[in-house]
Amino acid sequence: MRIMNAKIGPAVAKIGEWFDRRLQLAAPIREAAEHPVPRKTASWFYVFGSAALTVFLLQVVTGILLALIYVPSAGQAWSSLQALNHDVALGWFIRAMHGWGSNFMVAIVLIHMVQVFLFGAYKFPRELTWIIGVFLLLMTLGMAFSGQVLRFDQDAYWGLGIGASISSRVPIIGPAAVKLLLGGPIIAGATLSRFFALHVFVIPGMLIAFVGLHLLMVLKLGINEWPMPGRIVKRATYEREYHELTKQDGAPFVPYAIWKDMFFTAFIILAIAACAFYFGPFGPTGQPDPTIIQTAPKPDYFFLWLYALLSLLPPSMETPFLLIAPVLVILALILLPFLSGEGEKSWKRRPIAVLTVLLIAITLGTFTRLAQFAPWSPHMNAWSGDPVPDRFVHGTTALQRQGALVFQFKQCRNCHSLGNTGGQRGPALDSVAVRLTHDQLIRQVIQGGGNMPAYGNNLSPAETTALVAFLETLHPAGQSPARDAARDIALGDSSQKTSGGPRRDKR
Amino acid sequence: MNRFRSLGTAAVLSLLLSACSSTPPGQPQKDAEPVAPSQVMKFTTLYAQNCSGCHGAQGRGGAAIALADPVYLAIVDQASVRKVIANGVHGTTMPGFAESAGGMLTDKQVDAITSGIFSNWVRKGILDGSNPPSYAAKTAANAANGKLAYRTYCASCHGPEGEGGRKGSAITNDSFLALVSDQGLRTIVITGRPELGAPDWRGNVPGKPMTDQEITDVVAWLASRRVQNPGQPYSASNYAQP
Ligand code: HEC
Ligand code: HEC
Ligand code: HEC
Repeated sequence: MRIMNAKIGPAVAKIGEWFDRRLQLAAPIREAAEHPVPRKTASWFYVFGSAALTVFLLQVVTGILLALIYVPSAGQAWSSLQALNHDVALGWFIRAMHGWGSNFMVAIVLIHMVQVFLFGAYKFPRELTWIIGVFLLLMTLGMAFSGQVLRFDQDAYWGLGIGASISSRVPIIGPAAVKLLLGGPIIAGATLSRFFALHVFVIPGMLIAFVGLHLLMVLKLGINEWPMPGRIVKRATYEREYHELTKQDGAPFVPYAIWKDMFFTAFIILAIAACAFYFGPFGPTGQPDPTIIQTAPKPDYFFLWLYALLSLLPPSMETPFLLIAPVLVILALILLPFLSGEGEKSWKRRPIAVLTVLLIAITLGTFTRLAQFAPWSPHMNAWSGDPVPDRFVHGTTALQRQGALVFQFKQCRNCHSLGNTGGQRGPALDSVAVRLTHDQLIRQVIQGGGNMPAYGNNLSPAETTALVAFLETLHPAGQSPARDAARDIALGDSSQKTSGGPRRDKR
Repeated sequence: MNRFRSLGTAAVLSLLLSACSSTPPGQPQKDAEPVAPSQVMKFTTLYAQNCSGCHGAQGRGGAAIALADPVYLAIVDQASVRKVIANGVHGTTMPGFAESAGGMLTDKQVDAITSGIFSNWVRKGILDGSNPPSYAAKTAANAANGKLAYRTYCASCHGPEGEGGRKGSAITNDSFLALVSDQGLRTIVITGRPELGAPDWRGNVPGKPMTDQEITDVVAWLASRRVQNPGQPYSASNYAQP
């Protein structure tokens, strides 16, 4: 204070004193700012919490700006976003900041959580801080989901439909839950109003309250010390040990530790701004019109893994999985500090913790990656849109070309790729002739099997003949197709008459 | 720490740099909103989504005939093309695209594709002075004369009976004939398959273009080779083919 007095004019100081006599906040703020933290804790690993807080504040500010224009009605939401994108000065940028901010926030909160877990910071006496943190994560995800709904475009519409169908599977209260979520039995204007209220009042209100508590506890209990292998947490002695540590080897939070937080936070804000600037806002994709079925809606990235998982689960597993797994995961997260509230903090001595994190990260990463190209769903346009690769047209017979056309026409391409284009529901067929003989190809086409429909009733004999003649040309230049030795013996060397003459391999 | 710092400066610098350019890369373009599938009117998009699978990426090189063939576009009229796109060709793999034929395209979109084909791929004056045959057959056909015409114009490549030869594949194969229409055959005889090395009606015998009547007759002869039960892989008749 004395230093400040010398610098700033005495009048300002007087005003400050006037306020402080009434508010009495200066002392606690100074105390909080200067509270000692263990010296080693002022590390680059400890910046994620403050970054999450700042991104949250950024979301509040950009969110308020968006709310000035956004119209939460089913008829106008989409067009008000168009107006933001095109007509309002920098409207697109604010939308982009808010959208990228949301992505960053989910990522940072998750990283923060992993760091806290690996550094054992959830152990005694910080159990409640962790539990509140779990709720903060759930609320952040809730914000992300409800925000995606407010976009009210095609992705939002189908995302909501999936959310509703998940909640409808809850036994007994299912229908009521759907009604609560959608404001009626179907997605309509009332749905949007509900999600607007959730996204703008309910969840943010709770978030602010919980963030306050979370911060208060961080201040009261002190920032977790740098975990040392062998330094064991015991309920009886921990607090005394921590106190001694900060006394012997402590440094004031401001300015000793805070500059790293500020630096990282600034970096994150810049990164968000750069993403917003370069990649622009998310959507809105097409109008939320349920009559448009030529669509492949996808959720935002943090729910992609769920999308992949649900697509891959056998249908009978879906309901139990959807209803039981989330409960188990949340329960496990909440119980964690009670199950291992004491003991070793350092990740170097907690191999199971490290393996758990790796396993979860790899699983989520794999599912997210899978969801990006969705190999389980047919490409509905491939049959008419993806050309038959040149090398499978050149040097073919007239019959084989007709087979290629049957292949396209019967939409085999929607599930099978040729030359890397087409669906991935079934195996790529670029070299199928090496694997299967003439008769095996006929069998596969007629009878299907293993997730492939049987085409027996949908193909005329001529179409089958042409199709198989084409499939037999699908082999790499140097490799010869599979042959059926028994056929060769029975029919002699000219047995492959059905292919309409020899394939002329001249180029 | 140094890495963060340099990353940060790089971010700031590039932000400032591109801020100088007139429109930021992230700013949405006016027409960038995805339109409902029934609102798409751009020819290249419509063609790429609906036709390139069979007729080739740029209208050529596909398994079905090239639409970007100026010779083809010089003999065919827009009305015939539009009719094929809207209704398809019955019995072949050419699907009908109009909603009235069970397809997914509106009448306006069918119009857009039709006019796009002509405005993009026509080459004016390509057949000047060559008296091209008519697109559709206009006179009565005679299959017996067609056989003679086949011997003259086609046998050198496709073999004496159309069973395939050194330079051309089998075109009297029962399954092949079951999957093409008569008009489809006529179109091929007139235009050839330039990208596959099949000559058009002028090039079968150098210096001797086919007459309209010969084309009609050859197609009639090919059509007469269709069989009752095409494509039975194990029926003896398939192997007993002449
Ligand atoms: C709904 C998606 C789907 C469609 C449509 C489809 N297939 Fe398949 N196909 C599959 C799947 C899945 C498999 C793998 C079957 C298995 O694992 O036994 C497969 C396998 C095959 C195989 C065997 C490949 C191998 O390497 O063993 C051939 C050949 C084949 N399909 C041809 C076709 C043809 C020809 C058509 C069109 C008439 C077609 N498929 C349409 C999904 C599909
Ligand atoms: C599934 C394959 C397939 C697709 C997709 C397809 N075609 Fe075809 N098309 C064919 C075949 C095969 C023929 C020859 C039919 C015959 O034998 O007469 C043909 C014939 C035609 C013809 C008539 C040629 C003639 O003889 O005058 C036109 C014009 C045509 N297609 C245009 C289109 C357009 C435009 C599209 C996209 C909207 C399209 N096709 C999509 C397979 C296809
Ligand atoms: C100079 C040799 C040559 C002559 C002469 C010739 N063709 Fe062809 N024809 C080809 C080639 C090359 C192809 C394409 C590759 C293949 O099918 O072998 C072809 C393909 C065809 C096709 C199949 C086209 C498709 O879309 O799959 C038909 C039908 C055909 N020719 C009919 C005829 C008829 C009828 C005649 C006589 C009027 C004729 N050809 C004369 C070389 C010839």
